[in-house]
Amino acid sequence: MAQKPGSKKDSAMSKKAKPVRSKKSAVIGRPVETVETLRLPAVMQQVAYPIEALAPKVRQQTPAVGQRATRPDCRLHGLGQTKYIDDMSFPGMLYCKIKRAGIASALIKKIDVREAEAMPGVMAIITGKDIPVNSYGPSIKDQPVLADDRVFHAGDGVAAVAAVTEQIALEALDKIRVEYEPLTPIFDPVEAMKDSAPKVHPPSSNIYATKLIKKGDVEKGFRESYRIFEDTFTTQMVEHVPLEPHCSIASWDANGRLTIHSTLGRITLGRTDMARTLQLPISRIRMVATIVGGNFGGKNEITQEPALAVLSKMTGRPVKGTFTRTEEFIATTTRHPIIMHYKTGVSKEGKIIARKVRLVLDGGAYCSWSETTLGKACILSPGPYNIENVHSEAFVVYTNKTMTGAMRGFGAPQVCFAYESQMDEIAHALNIDPLEIRLRNAFHEGSASPTGQVLHSVVVKDSLLQAAERYGWKEAR
Amino acid sequence: MTDVTLKINGETRSASVPPETTLLKMLRENFNLTGAKLGCDIGDCGACTVIIDGKSVNSCLMLAGQVDGREVLTIEGLATPDHLHPIQKTFEDCASLQCGFCGPGVIMSAKALLDDNPNPSVVEIRDALAGNLCRCTGYTKMIQAVQEASKVMRSDTVRRLAKTNG
Repeated sequence: MAQKPGSKKDSAMSKKAKPVRSKKSAVIGRPVETVETLRLPAVMQQVAYPIEALAPKVRQQTPAVGQRATRPDCRLHGLGQTKYIDDMSFPGMLYCKIKRAGIASALIKKIDVREAEAMPGVMAIITGKDIPVNSYGPSIKDQPVLADDRVFHAGDGVAAVAAVTEQIALEALDKIRVEYEPLTPIFDPVEAMKDSAPKVHPPSSNIYATKLIKKGDVEKGFRESYRIFEDTFTTQMVEHVPLEPHCSIASWDANGRLTIHSTLGRITLGRTDMARTLQLPISRIRMVATIVGGNFGGKNEITQEPALAVLSKMTGRPVKGTFTRTEEFIATTTRHPIIMHYKTGVSKEGKIIARKVRLVLDGGAYCSWSETTLGKACILSPGPYNIENVHSEAFVVYTNKTMTGAMRGFGAPQVCFAYESQMDEIAHALNIDPLEIRLRNAFHEGSASPTGQVLHSVVVKDSLLQAAERYGWKEAR
Repeated sequence: MTDVTLKINGETRSASVPPETTLLKMLRENFNLTGAKLGCDIGDCGACTVIIDGKSVNSCLMLAGQVDGREVLTIEGLATPDHLHPIQKTFEDCASLQCGFCGPGVIMSAKALLDDNPNPSVVEIRDALAGNLCRCTGYTKMIQAVQEASKVMRSDTVRRLAKTNG
């Protein structure tokens, strides 16, 4: 936008830039005269630097303890100048959109992309067959980048389009025809555990990981108990909903090197997955982590990146893929819903003598971080209490639903909800103060966890007492 | 194609865009103003909030053609080369920006509120920020920051008035 030099509107511009711009308008049509002219940005910067950044200087000792901390990156956040991945673009960049199955369980008979491919502006379309090794996952490699023979949940991608604009890519999705042979889906994890249930990943069993923790003798403990409480608790599926959707840009250069700019939180793991799926030496892959607009565990593994890479290789252009909010819900990991059965034997004084826990984790269609979640949920399921007799078993089960994976706490919040809820019920039934019953059972310095780990710096009771005092627990009751 | 001429952050700009282009898309792609973010594209999250003729608006819900001849203020138009806007300053001081993705939208909603109501109550601040979702920072510190900013802006106004009168 041309502007008259010295106009009042200039005030928002950098002081430095002002004389330079007037010089430019004076030299239109003539050879470039100054180095400064060459440095003119193509688009004016709306906020001129320097509004001094807050980054500490090299080797500067920054005070920490007892100081009020300010985030060094928040200056640019507040100015709207932080470049998240979706704020980046490269010359000639294409946009990728993914066709979602929309059916929970089916065999893919045929994918017809001819009509979509013929659209002006569509540069390339790929299906699962175009991915060199079409499977990945942090532990069990059970997840296809794009479903090829079989659909495991409705959010599965079946084809990916690269087009010159997002709009064209979206329109092309509608023109891709996929023929399915529907299969009976299974949605209930408890049903899925039965032998008769349809298999999500045949011939494998739907139960894909288990864990068992045993300590003492629970049956003996129950016999010695004054009362036994049995309850079942359930939690629902939760999506991370980072404000910034998943987004990556793949550029496969002419030298056969692949660069991925991505909002992934774990780029080294992502790099390994990329090397595997693309059958590319890891040294040829460069992952650049961009500033993350919220992760919470949902950006811990690759999603669409191998598809973007293949599209970039085919077209010779950078390819950007940004998930829509809908895709965030249907095609990225979520928190495990858990069905938690608790059987707890207590003495008359409210001391827990035995606790038997059975957890069924709904794993959705793929393993993702389920093994980690299963382990942590199982280990933490008896709660922070000294219990002589513990039996905790956990199963994670495939269903034809959105996959579940890492999310803050890895299964800990679910079991905490269960054991603390039961604790309140026991306190109520035995007519003991809810705080008191926790103090009678809680870990102390040197307590051993259910798996035998001796714990140090244990301040559960101090924390509870302090909180009770500040809150006015006694007064409120 | 739709031709649009509008004032953005005090400067007259124009663009020719396909008719389905949203204001957000035009700001980000035609004018490289990437401060307003695309979070949900359906007006739920408020990450794309900008101010049009003094009113805060979800720019993902407005077509570029609808802003022809109007005045748009984006996050990039708040600070001057030497000074942060008081809201930007207090958001920084109160640690109200964590991942920062929702920040520009929240700050623009706060700006629209404080321009309209220089001394809002906490309830009024909550109301004004109700259309902005945040997933990491939480709202407590943002509300604090808006309260602080309202104090600063009011004292600035008093100082300025004193200067003009005196």
